[in-house]
Amino acid sequence: MKERDLEGLTISVVSARIRSGEISPVELTTLYLGKIKRLNPILNAYITLTENQALADARTAEIEIKSGKHRGPLHGIPFSIKDNLATRGVRTTAGSKILSEWKPDFDATVVARLKKAGAVILGKTNMHEFASGGTTINPYYGTTCNPWDMKRIPGGSSGGSAAAVAASMCMASIGTDNAGSVRNPASLCGTVGLKATYGRVSRFGGVHGTGGFSTDHFGVFTKTVEDCALVLEAIAGYDPKDPLSSEEPVLNYSKSIGNEVKGLRVGLVKGYFDSLMVGEVKSVFGEAVKKLESLGMLVEEVSIPHMDLIPAVQTATSRVENVSTQDHYLKTRPRDYSPTLLYRHICALMIPAATYVTAQRVRRIICQEFDDTLQRVHVIAAPSVAFSAPTIEECNRGFFENAGRRINFQDVRGNLGTLCTLPFNVTGHPALSVCCGFSSSGLPIGMQIIAGSFQESMVFQVAHAYERVAGWYVRKPDLPENGTRA
Amino acid sequence: MREEVKRLDAEYGFNLSEEEIELIAEQAEAANRLFQPLYEVDLTGVMPIMKVDKKVKK
Repeated sequence: MKERDLEGLTISVVSARIRSGEISPVELTTLYLGKIKRLNPILNAYITLTENQALADARTAEIEIKSGKHRGPLHGIPFSIKDNLATRGVRTTAGSKILSEWKPDFDATVVARLKKAGAVILGKTNMHEFASGGTTINPYYGTTCNPWDMKRIPGGSSGGSAAAVAASMCMASIGTDNAGSVRNPASLCGTVGLKATYGRVSRFGGVHGTGGFSTDHFGVFTKTVEDCALVLEAIAGYDPKDPLSSEEPVLNYSKSIGNEVKGLRVGLVKGYFDSLMVGEVKSVFGEAVKKLESLGMLVEEVSIPHMDLIPAVQTATSRVENVSTQDHYLKTRPRDYSPTLLYRHICALMIPAATYVTAQRVRRIICQEFDDTLQRVHVIAAPSVAFSAPTIEECNRGFFENAGRRINFQDVRGNLGTLCTLPFNVTGHPALSVCCGFSSSGLPIGMQIIAGSFQESMVFQVAHAYERVAGWYVRKPDLPENGTRA
Repeated sequence: MREEVKRLDAEYGFNLSEEEIELIAEQAEAANRLFQPLYEVDLTGVMPIMKVDKKVKK
């Protein structure tokens, strides 16, 4: 196998070849490490590389598999982990200056479950400081670039994870999603990105201050929907270390892959998303919906009366929950936050308790409206991000221009890049972003598929059916051979 | 809002400049405007969501 072969590899295919002995985990890991060393100087997807441990784990996997002890589809599969998930003995910075030297003495439960499944962890990926933004322009660890265009951001906050998967610098990655931090970069980098139902995946071992207690979710990046189902099966399930994790049984998610979608009903939420999308995204998303119809799905408009209040609920909830964990650092090292994040935390300290509780009351109404809707339709389809990847320069100046109109990335509702994704952090429903086309300048655009709580199988079924008929997953970024900028 | 920022500045020891106090106060005012419509919803009889550990509807 050669390094260029990595681009087309998926877990579902490689796993069988590892099991049969056709592919060696050591050879696979060595190829990925070589690719990371070649591309990371230009993409900056990884903060820390765990080369020695990865090779040792790959050797162990190889010995086990040769002796007939195959642990399952992730055995010998190279992963990366967002740098706000605790990894025992490995620096876990959360993209921050404050935690720049922190080496946890424990693994996050998702990391422990991946290790138990035999996965090989290549390193820790770059992210927005404390997961507090959507660009992965990081003042301490540098900017991660989008593999589709090095002048552009990969999205965020899990930008390093998305870039690493898109550039074949790992087969899959684990990120976190408080307002869209998995689905946003998945959309901008053209990968699959899943945020499962709230409580489906344990959040033990997530760095405090990188998401709200009731809005943050851990998620998965892969190249295909089927791979995503395989990873979720390995990491999902109740965890006594996370009292907010769910006891709902973990299903065989990959079993739903390939099931027919004809006759299933798909809802389009009136108003909210239409007002956000720029023209090109609207057009690509519209074509994707037609593709769902061509599969025999029945498309109908649905109404969520309190939809416009969701950004306010999300902001009041996640910022208060998040800042409540930061008192120590705010008192001892306030200037070790970037100014933007420090100011945001100070604003969060000023949100009245009554506003937080009122937001939770409005949240109940919104959740009920979505639950009722998802009783009538099998899934909701929505854009993942209202625009394709902006340039680093546009992000630094705070706006971009579209059709002669100036569009600010930040407005009173928050970050424009998360307004399509954050509704499902408020409701907790499972949501997956799948590539649904490309802009005229060759940048990926994502579509979300959302289903009822714990109906991840339905999400996978519909997303996979779309992915196969649309075929966008075969398109790969054109990366430089020699690891230097074009 | 400026007074509230100054109170937090004293309590936490941020050592904010006047310019920073002004900027943070403006951001806090914008957030308050965002939250205002939440108070306009009829919440009679609506309890807050205190946990989101959903169960499958049987």
